[in-house]
Amino acid sequence: MNKIWHTLFLEERPSVSLSLFRIAVAITVGAHVIPTLWNLPDNYYATALKTFNFDFFPVQLIELVQRSSDQTVLFFVIVFYVFWFFFLIGLFSRLSCILMTLAGYYFYALNSLHVGTLSWDILLVTLFLMCLTPYHGDYFSVDAVRRGDAGSYKRKRPFFLQRLLQIQIASTFFYTALYKITGTGNWISGNPIYYLMNYPPAGVTKWFLLRDFFMDKPGLCYAAGLLILIIEISMPVLLFWRRTRMSAIYVGCFFHLVLILTLDVPAIFFFLFPPQLLLFINPENIVRWIEQKRRANAQAPQSQLIYDGHCQFCRRSVQQLQVMDLFHTLKMVDFQSTSHLEALHPELSKERCASQLHLLEPDRTLYGGFAVFRRLCLILPMLYPFILLFYFPGSGIVGPFVYRWVAQNRYLFHFNKTCKDNACFLGHGK
Amino acid sequence: MKLRDTVITIFVILWLAVFNYESIHRYYLEPWLKRPLPKMKLLFPPAGWIMFYNVEDDYGYAQIYGVNVDGVQEIDPHEILATRTIGFDNIHRNVLLVVFGEAMPGQVCRFLERKFPEFDNFLITAAQYPSLTQTPHKKLQRVLYQCKEK
Repeated sequence: MNKIWHTLFLEERPSVSLSLFRIAVAITVGAHVIPTLWNLPDNYYATALKTFNFDFFPVQLIELVQRSSDQTVLFFVIVFYVFWFFFLIGLFSRLSCILMTLAGYYFYALNSLHVGTLSWDILLVTLFLMCLTPYHGDYFSVDAVRRGDAGSYKRKRPFFLQRLLQIQIASTFFYTALYKITGTGNWISGNPIYYLMNYPPAGVTKWFLLRDFFMDKPGLCYAAGLLILIIEISMPVLLFWRRTRMSAIYVGCFFHLVLILTLDVPAIFFFLFPPQLLLFINPENIVRWIEQKRRANAQAPQSQLIYDGHCQFCRRSVQQLQVMDLFHTLKMVDFQSTSHLEALHPELSKERCASQLHLLEPDRTLYGGFAVFRRLCLILPMLYPFILLFYFPGSGIVGPFVYRWVAQNRYLFHFNKTCKDNACFLGHGK
Repeated sequence: MKLRDTVITIFVILWLAVFNYESIHRYYLEPWLKRPLPKMKLLFPPAGWIMFYNVEDDYGYAQIYGVNVDGVQEIDPHEILATRTIGFDNIHRNVLLVVFGEAMPGQVCRFLERKFPEFDNFLITAAQYPSLTQTPHKKLQRVLYQCKEK
């Protein structure tokens, strides 16, 4: 019994899954709350049309929040935006999560009309557990880059919070089905899917491809309803039993894809639940897979990043790139301690290397300056979000200017007293 | 380590107990014990995980009309509640039902008067399909209230 309890809740496993899940949670929260912040007079200012969830909040709290002036609302909007973004990028990850969640609660108490859906209540349960988690910023985060620990993706952490998130999603499926077949639920006595297919245009059902087909087939709709019930009710077993786990994850993800394609339900179901199902994948397996890829890449020809080892700013940047280089695709080469640069590539020289960063790919293609960052965006998973920015029309013109300015002043970005006047530029600093 | 394990164990047990209690208290425990039970505020859906648990053969929604010298015209609900959501349409989720709330008429009218000053009056109506499968084209509609009584 002790051993089972230990395996379930007390052991430590890598936190890489929770780090990824943090991003999914941030996207979900943003997708749900931010649209309501674009129209403050309608939604949160004194002029708004408001409803209050007295079942969820104590009356006194709602009364307190209602005393907010428009300036207070604006203050919380700024708090939400800042800490939501920090949480998304994993900067002061836990603190950001707490402050973002508090701002979310504030808007919910202020007006539950748009924000207050059942799925939002579910999301708040998830957020509560995330607020308790001090390590969802371990990887895929600015915090990880700041710490400069390239092995943080495999750092072992208490597993019980991930387990509770697993239990939450499995229980949600189970209880949803239970409500459908007991009490006032009518999935056995009625034919809800058939009714949904026949909803008027103003209703919750979208006009999807097969809707006309299902509209006049009550038997088929009832069978589909029964199938959904069976899957939902057996989801906890399917998810926790190793043999059926992957199939259950696929089925769950498919279920939520179908849900968003067919019904006008909050996208929380789509943005949050599939990533939460992925928490059932053992993080040990994810780390094993990463390690396998790292070993394979270390043995294969790697891209070489040629940098200035005398520049502290460059060394720090390289260290940060190593953190981002999850699959170990880059080999770092300090040109200051490399005697035969021409052997690497005939176009390389000390002077040229001093002027900018270079990336030499295994097929001998050489990139320099801003183009290096464009290439790194495609190579390093943590830089994927910058693809949009670095490949945005016009960035090919602006980017090199910005890069050149940073490169020329790079010795000013550190605290080496001998180089504080940028005299070390072009390899003079030792 | 032992202290850490003890703290985690206590938290997990408490969490699972509250989680499952909150999941069933409204629709199972309260009817069974025939008395209201305490509800933990600020966390968990108040009525449990009741997604689409009861979908009936009828359907109702709100339609709002603006009145001025040119006559009566329906106002697009997307203009009334103009918040655009990502991945779904809040109006189709029937969020406009809010106008039926008992304490809402005053607030609704002030809101409409601010947003649509071109109208002199507003009619808040309830549209109802009594049976979507038996009589799909039968739609009943009645005025629930208007902002300026005649």
